[in-house]
Amino acid sequence: MKVLICIDDTDNLESRGTGDLAEQLATEIEERNWGRSEFVTRHQLLVHPDVPYTSHNSSMCFAAEIGEQYLPALVERAKAFLVEESAEGSDPGLAVAVPDTLSDTALLVDFGRRAKREVLRKQDAYDLAAAQGIYLSEHGGTGHGVIGALAGIGLRMSGNDGRIKGWLEIPTRDGMARVADIVEQFQLGGVRSMAGDLLEENDLVAVGEKPKAVYLDGKPFLMVSPLTDAGPARWKTSCRRELKKY
Amino acid sequence: MWDIVEQGRKLFRHGREDFQAAVQAASDCPAFREDVEEEWVTDEARSCYNCRFRRWTPDSFLCQAAAG
Repeated sequence: MKVLICIDDTDNLESRGTGDLAEQLATEIEERNWGRSEFVTRHQLLVHPDVPYTSHNSSMCFAAEIGEQYLPALVERAKAFLVEESAEGSDPGLAVAVPDTLSDTALLVDFGRRAKREVLRKQDAYDLAAAQGIYLSEHGGTGHGVIGALAGIGLRMSGNDGRIKGWLEIPTRDGMARVADIVEQFQLGGVRSMAGDLLEENDLVAVGEKPKAVYLDGKPFLMVSPLTDAGPARWKTSCRRELKKY
Repeated sequence: MWDIVEQGRKLFRHGREDFQAAVQAASDCPAFREDVEEEWVTDEARSCYNCRFRRWTPDSFLCQAAAG
């Protein structure tokens, strides 16, 4: 079965990031032979004076394909993991959802989108989680991380939000790579221009430093921007400034 | 470069889109520390926009570094 796991607000100014913890939990699922984990997505939530957050207010979500019998153990391990690993002064929250069992996915996606533009309450998150059969728990501090954790599940389910944690180490020749090779190596949905055009298999891309993928149409896509010089590549990987909006 | 706001906190005067000013502010800051990779918003590693101690606000960021 497919599960989505999202954590939020596990860090302080001195600790490891929430993304690292999500990645560690994803790895642990595989090490325990419970199933296979996917990449971690980072979802930006509302930055507002009334929202408590350490520095950026983002949550981290990943999907895993696990044996159904391991779900209770996974939830228990994720809870214990947050207790063990969350930083002092943080307000961690955990959400675990089984997409196939949700009665109304649209409500969850809407909650995620609202968390990007509105101040939501913890009770809003608990009410929705209870109605949808989503596991939601807090593990210290104010527990406000449950809002971001549930929102992250909704945004991941939307298929169109967030950046993929980490970067793509793309092999190049003369600083360039072919679209088909990039897509195959990293199992991408494709290589797409910032204007929304999908590149052709044989297009060449000039690869910049630490290129990142974003989550679109339920898949990771490498984003590129047009190159105006006369070289063989008409595209270059988009820089981080350009990817801020994802 | 900075405005001093309530409780003596430092608010970056140049907002969220002045990448050059953010690099300049970080260049001689003894407290600068790179944030985790997924929170970087610019390719210049040493930029206040990529610093662990910046706390984003709707229009800019506050510096949370004790010696920043």
